[in-house]
Amino acid sequence: MEKMLSVSNLGKAFKDKQVISNISFDVHKGEIMAILGPNGAGKSTTIRNIMGIMYPDQGNIHFQSTNGKEIPRHRIGYLPEERGLYKNVKVMDILLYLAELKDYPLDKARTRALEYLKKFDLEGKDKVSVEELSKGMGQKVQFIASILHEPELLILDEPFSGLDPVSQELFKDEIRNLAKNGTAILLSSHQMNLVEEMADRLFMIHRGKKVIYGTMDDVKTEYANFKCTIHGNNDPKQLELLPQVQRIEVNEGSTILYLDKEVNPNQWLKQLPEDLQILELKINRVSLHEIFIDIASDKNLLQEKKAGEVYA
Amino acid sequence: MRNTMKVAKWEIKRNMKNKSYLIGLLLTPLIIIGFMVIGSFFDDSDEESSESTVVFVNDELGVYDDMVSTIEQTGINWELMQTDLTEAEAQEELEDSEETAYVFVDEEGLENGSLAVYTSDDIDSFFMSEVQVLTGPVQAKQMEELGLTEEQLAGISQGVQFVEAGSINEAAESGEEGMGSMEENPLQTLVPGIFGGFVLLSVVFTGMAIFQSASQEKKDKIAEIILSSLTPSELMQGKIIGYFALGLIQTLVSTVLLLPVLMWRFDQPLLEYLLVPELALYVFIAILGYLLFASIFVGVGATMADVTTAGNFQGFVMMLPFLPFVFIGPVLSDPNGLMAQIGTYIPFTSPAVLLLRLTSLEQWPWIEIGISLAILVISVWAFMKLAGKIFKVGILMYGKNATPGEIWKWLKA
Repeated sequence: MEKMLSVSNLGKAFKDKQVISNISFDVHKGEIMAILGPNGAGKSTTIRNIMGIMYPDQGNIHFQSTNGKEIPRHRIGYLPEERGLYKNVKVMDILLYLAELKDYPLDKARTRALEYLKKFDLEGKDKVSVEELSKGMGQKVQFIASILHEPELLILDEPFSGLDPVSQELFKDEIRNLAKNGTAILLSSHQMNLVEEMADRLFMIHRGKKVIYGTMDDVKTEYANFKCTIHGNNDPKQLELLPQVQRIEVNEGSTILYLDKEVNPNQWLKQLPEDLQILELKINRVSLHEIFIDIASDKNLLQEKKAGEVYA
Repeated sequence: MRNTMKVAKWEIKRNMKNKSYLIGLLLTPLIIIGFMVIGSFFDDSDEESSESTVVFVNDELGVYDDMVSTIEQTGINWELMQTDLTEAEAQEELEDSEETAYVFVDEEGLENGSLAVYTSDDIDSFFMSEVQVLTGPVQAKQMEELGLTEEQLAGISQGVQFVEAGSINEAAESGEEGMGSMEENPLQTLVPGIFGGFVLLSVVFTGMAIFQSASQEKKDKIAEIILSSLTPSELMQGKIIGYFALGLIQTLVSTVLLLPVLMWRFDQPLLEYLLVPELALYVFIAILGYLLFASIFVGVGATMADVTTAGNFQGFVMMLPFLPFVFIGPVLSDPNGLMAQIGTYIPFTSPAVLLLRLTSLEQWPWIEIGISLAILVISVWAFMKLAGKIFKVGILMYGKNATPGEIWKWLKA
């Protein structure tokens, strides 16, 4: 796949504090690449360095389309984390202004803007003043502004924050659509469930450093072990003694058994004791969300798992 | 540059569609007109109650009676009296009298074609043009006394004029030099200067809107979206140019609305006075003044999260355009004095002080003007640079005002 953007060894410090260091990743044409991390991990800093809004202390940012460091501003769509719109202007006016800044033909921009407004349930709002829009509507307009000029690289910083589930779906569909049509997409988020569904590859960052980088499937096989949730009244001690169980988590009425990486689910299920009370049983992989929370809350679970420690 | 113009166009368009800007645009000149009309009511009532000008005539030719009837005919509000004081005595008398003038009609003056007039210090500025009506009776007398030989006719057609021999203090120190200095209408020199000042004032006020605009950009959080398409300096320059155009529009609209009213009120050909070569220099000075304040404002605006949270530092900077007011008094009383010169060399005050001095001086101090303009141009360049540095960092700083310390750090970076 064609590399649209590659970031290598990026580093940035504010005063004496190193905010990000040694960040390297690529974004390919037609893929959705996600940067994940808790608040303050350095996601926005990374993106701002890419956009030339900040200047990195170390490292390189290479854009395919200009074959160099110069930012192809007109071919990038950017939805920043800190975002808003001029308040006392009409929706269409601001969309056209932003398209004009990208040197996009205005008549084409107008047609596309109307199409997108319709798609995002904002039909007829083009003549409405921005200050009359709800927060969600405003966010849709910002999103439209970032894709109106058909960018070849789209950078979305926390695109889903503050959206209701319906709007989230709309955004997700549109982002998938754009990727399908060849746009390279870099998105940052802390909403793991959404990212898990749509990202092709991910880069997890914590305290400014890389934690995980790879395709979604690789990451899952590598880090997301199986876990088995059993509803029923059972003795935790008994469950703990089962083979290939790393640790257990006891909740009211249910127990979650975290299994070894090498576990074979079929075989493992067969050797469950017969006296086990099973009202409901679920076996699935640890979600990205859980990996994320473990990292974010500094449990450093991954490393501990590797060391084979039991964590209860 | 293309991006700069796009931003400028946008700022203009955005404001032109904004109701409060449009209202301000029309309201400002209307308010001025309103005050003038109200002012003229007060003026009228003042005139009625005020004492009329007392004019003493030392008449050696016997034209006094004719003068009285001429004044009655023209309806000028004068109290005419006869006197036999000499010129020297009259000057002494004038030291402590108000609204008084002495007119000397004698053979000597008649031969020279100029008759001496002495006025008290506070005399109305139009007095010297009004006094010319008295030439009528004098000339009639001249014709009557002389036969009408060709020579004499030539002498008559040369005409006779009353020439101000000076109001008392000038006459005392400069004697004959004071003669004939006020032949020109004072409005003629004032009008272009006043216009220049008006341009300066309205662009500076519009410049303050830049400050609003820069800080609003932060409040609306749109800066980062805009900056994904252009550079901070393009955004800043676009704002400066855009608001400059808005200021000019304001000036233009005000002029179109105000000028006819002023012409009617003062009954003077103001447009003629306005369109003189000096105007170009005045407008140039005003533009430099605008650029200076605009760059300061756009920079400071970018350091503030919210207009309402201006700290001491920002508040102080906001007051800079009002600094020239300190100089108005001293400059008017002595346009070549020390204060005037100091004001000319401080970039923040020089546009206003220069305008003030140039309109009140007859001899322009070209060297001072040159130095002052050079200082101004260099300051504009320097402040643009500095503002660019502040703007670049400040516009992306959310949620808090920058401290002077932080601003200093950005400047050094």
